[in-house]
Amino acid sequence: MAKLSKIHKDPFFWIFIVFACYPLLPYVGNFVSLGTELILWFIFTLSFNLCLGQTGLPSFGQGAFYGLGSYAAAITFLRVFGSESFILPLISGIVVGALFGAALGWMIREKRGTYFAMLTVVFTQVCFGVCWRWDAVTGGEAGLSGIRRASFLGLDMSDLYTYYYFCFAVFMLCAVLIRIIARSCFGMSLQAVRQNAVRAQYLGYNAGLYKFAVFTLSSAFAGLAGAMYCLLTQSAFADILDWSKSGDVVMATLLGGGTVSFYGPIVGTLIFVLCKELLSSLWDHWAFAYGLSFVVILSLFPNGLMGMLQKRVRGGSLATALPNGAQEANGQERTAGAADLKSPQRSHSA
Amino acid sequence: MLILSLILNGIVLGLVYAAVALGFSLVLGVSGVINFSHGITFTFGAYFFWVLYKVIGYVPAMILSPILVACIGYLVERLIIRRVYGQDPLFGLLITLGFAIAMEELIRMIFGPAAHNVDPPSFASGIIIFGDFVYSQYRLFIAAVALAMIAATWLITERSNFGAVVKAGMFDHEMVGALGHNLFRLRIYVMVLGSFAAGLAGILAAPIWSVKSGMGNAILMPSFLIVLMGGLGSITGTLIGGLLVGLCISLGTLVAPRYVDIMPFLLMGVIVYFWPRGLMGQQNIIE
Repeated sequence: MAKLSKIHKDPFFWIFIVFACYPLLPYVGNFVSLGTELILWFIFTLSFNLCLGQTGLPSFGQGAFYGLGSYAAAITFLRVFGSESFILPLISGIVVGALFGAALGWMIREKRGTYFAMLTVVFTQVCFGVCWRWDAVTGGEAGLSGIRRASFLGLDMSDLYTYYYFCFAVFMLCAVLIRIIARSCFGMSLQAVRQNAVRAQYLGYNAGLYKFAVFTLSSAFAGLAGAMYCLLTQSAFADILDWSKSGDVVMATLLGGGTVSFYGPIVGTLIFVLCKELLSSLWDHWAFAYGLSFVVILSLFPNGLMGMLQKRVRGGSLATALPNGAQEANGQERTAGAADLKSPQRSHSA
Repeated sequence: MLILSLILNGIVLGLVYAAVALGFSLVLGVSGVINFSHGITFTFGAYFFWVLYKVIGYVPAMILSPILVACIGYLVERLIIRRVYGQDPLFGLLITLGFAIAMEELIRMIFGPAAHNVDPPSFASGIIIFGDFVYSQYRLFIAAVALAMIAATWLITERSNFGAVVKAGMFDHEMVGALGHNLFRLRIYVMVLGSFAAGLAGILAAPIWSVKSGMGNAILMPSFLIVLMGGLGSITGTLIGGLLVGLCISLGTLVAPRYVDIMPFLLMGVIVYFWPRGLMGQQNIIE
């Protein structure tokens, strides 16, 4: 990343270029809101992968933070600060996402594996239930609507293209930020926690605290993505707090190979979201194929597309994405009991 | 009188929840898989029954449908869940969720989105009158069958060698394998047993809730709560958890009918705060 001459080797460079030209692309370029949605998904899955791929936290509650961020933005816009504010809803999305993430993360920071996943599922369901029922604040089943994109820094955000480029800018910022986090000392410690939480603890890293921190961080990003989604659709509904959203984000991350590659989530999201959009517009009973695709992908490509690529091009530029991360985890010894349940991925190189 | 009938309703509901949660809890304990397809076995039970009971009569259908559901459980274990053993818990969760989504849509494709009604059997369709208290016979019938199922599961897990192995498998499944018990076969048995119970519960519930494709989702979350509240793998804990959820939902309608689906979660929050492993939980593999 540092040297300009090597910038063409940086996957982000190419991703940014493609999405900078998104409105010019053939066919899909006509659907700017789809592009905006894709970009928000990128932020969402990249930040989720800090939890799943980097720390090995099997969180199934990420959709809740997305939804809460979306509601926070809507409520801020409609009720709290009055209208005509563009940036405040986004900030409140981040804050609310982070607050709820911190609350949940603090409660379950010492839990592991399956138990952790179950508690996050339950949390999502509680949030869904509250948003679905609490008419006075969340609008209940009807949701909230009537949100407008006010102008920001003299830019007219109600224009879809302007809003697209705003989201794109935020995405670039977040993506680079997330990568800096992933490669920092903090990120390395997270990998240590994933590979062997007990050993990390003995080395003096407070594993629970690290899990709490990364959970909060990732839910703050999810809240931001949700808030931006709220401004995109100009409404907030409880549907996005449902299991399916949390399932989608995990699925997109795993499809791309989030456990083996930092860039996996982007690839996965791209394919997953586009296929879902295409399928649902073509077939009434698309959910059948959608559900079966989970089964097929997880049983045939447990390491995702990037995992397959890495197998082919070992030592290529892609494989260096998570330095000494994925490979080392395979060597982790299996201690007694359910060690295999805790390890976040099955060995692909063994 | 209202209170009494609400309490009775809550107990009946709780018994059905507990009967479904048993299978969920056993599979979770022995296989370490959060089985989201457990709800769909409940739905399958109800649909098989709805198709069969007019053709072959009530009792034969009630015996045949859970067996068919158990076969589906067997296939799901062999073809789907087996692929994710020993992987991240999200794999098991997602693969079964995907299967459940697909099957729900398949049911909608075949039988349409509308809900179907099932009549209660002739031997239990009346009402029971105690003085001025009136209660449905069919609900008492449900309670009896559900209790019998729970008792049978209790006998199997607490009073047989097989049950001892199952319980050991929840504590440390690698050691159970090392001691010469076929862990894969054990997991199949547990899955088949759990699917059978869920299928039977689906049949019982069919006349009081109508038969529709989404009915499995409604039963899945209580199973989660019951396992977290009662403790994994404990039959007594599951029964207590089921009754708590059932009563909470039933009596909650008195206090705040709109928020009734959130109340069990609050109860669970309180219980898990004081008993992190659930009321009857012991150390187990999912921690």
